[in-house]
Amino acid sequence: MPRALDLANLPDADVVALALEGREAAHRELIRRYERPVFSLVFRMVRDRELAEDLTQDTFVKVLSHLDRYRSDFKFSSWLFKIANNVAIDHLRRRQLDTVSMHGSPNAVTVEAQESTRFDVADSAENALEEMQAKELGSAIERAIARLRPEYRSCIMLRHVEGRSYEEIASTLDLPLGTVKTYIHRARHELRRALEHTRE
Amino acid sequence: MNHRHLLPNEIDLLVDGEAGFGVAPLRAHIQECPECRERLEDARVVVEALEALPHFAPDSRLADRVMAQVPVFVPAHVAARDTVRRWLPQSAAARIAALAVAGASAFTLTVGMIWLALQGDAVVFVTGLLGDRIRTAVTSAARDLAVALLGDAALSALQGLGAIGASLLLLAFLLGAVGTIAGIRRLAVASRRA
Repeated sequence: MPRALDLANLPDADVVALALEGREAAHRELIRRYERPVFSLVFRMVRDRELAEDLTQDTFVKVLSHLDRYRSDFKFSSWLFKIANNVAIDHLRRRQLDTVSMHGSPNAVTVEAQESTRFDVADSAENALEEMQAKELGSAIERAIARLRPEYRSCIMLRHVEGRSYEEIASTLDLPLGTVKTYIHRARHELRRALEHTRE
Repeated sequence: MNHRHLLPNEIDLLVDGEAGFGVAPLRAHIQECPECRERLEDARVVVEALEALPHFAPDSRLADRVMAQVPVFVPAHVAARDTVRRWLPQSAAARIAALAVAGASAFTLTVGMIWLALQGDAVVFVTGLLGDRIRTAVTSAARDLAVALLGDAALSALQGLGAIGASLLLLAFLLGAVGTIAGIRRLAVASRRA
């Protein structure tokens, strides 16, 4: 049985194989690898931290409980993101939350709760002015993403935050390649318009 | 200069860093058209802002909460394999040595069995001799015990009854023993109730 350190160096398919052999450490390694990207995707979809925690947990429970259905000719991460996206989209459809308040979670009932559910993006600029501009841009882009349609949001997040190719996104979301390109193009266009004021 | 400005999807091709035959004219146009250059720069700003977005960290107990709901079981063939592996030496040299010892032992046993099979008559003789000696020793010990318990006279009378008589006597003894035990148990139960 590979040690914990060795698991970190194994490719996803090998870790999945170990998980199918009943190794709990392999299950935990898969969670460790993808908890942040999955949570980030879901959080930006639903804009509520507590809800995103629950949906992320649901995603991993679904994936790890049905690992025997995973096909190794498909990337594990793509399969995982597919399920995460479906979980988030299903929730949004049930809650009819196609547009989300930019002022924090719609479930926030106190000022503190609203503040804690807004985004504060860290930056790495060199001086105070650049720092302020970067912070403003970072927050502005988050607010702009929140206003995108869920389908556009999924595509743009997978493309630019997760670094997936168009073909991988099409495969992950079960969409035609042309549709993915259209969604990303439209998302970029909307984000550009939303950020115009920060460029002045 | 090409007076047609770039279409939005052509800007996207440049933003995505696409390469190929159709992209070169687009790059050439960018060099010459300030308006398209500015649109491309705007698109790049958006992409760079997206690519700089951080990953958020979920609660540190996420893994524990997930594993509490995921059934993990070891398939039977994996459990068997793990059991065998526990007994195997870890290093290659130790495994080779263990294999050599096992092979030598198996060879020696096989040769010994073949030799014994070839010495059939001697085996039968030795086995018979041992059997006779064991039977004699057991019979003698049993007789000595019976004499010590019953005495010579009783033993002679018992021998006179024959096998059937001895079996009946033994049966009577066993019934008496069982009856005694049952009686003592009843007395013990009765005394507890009292």
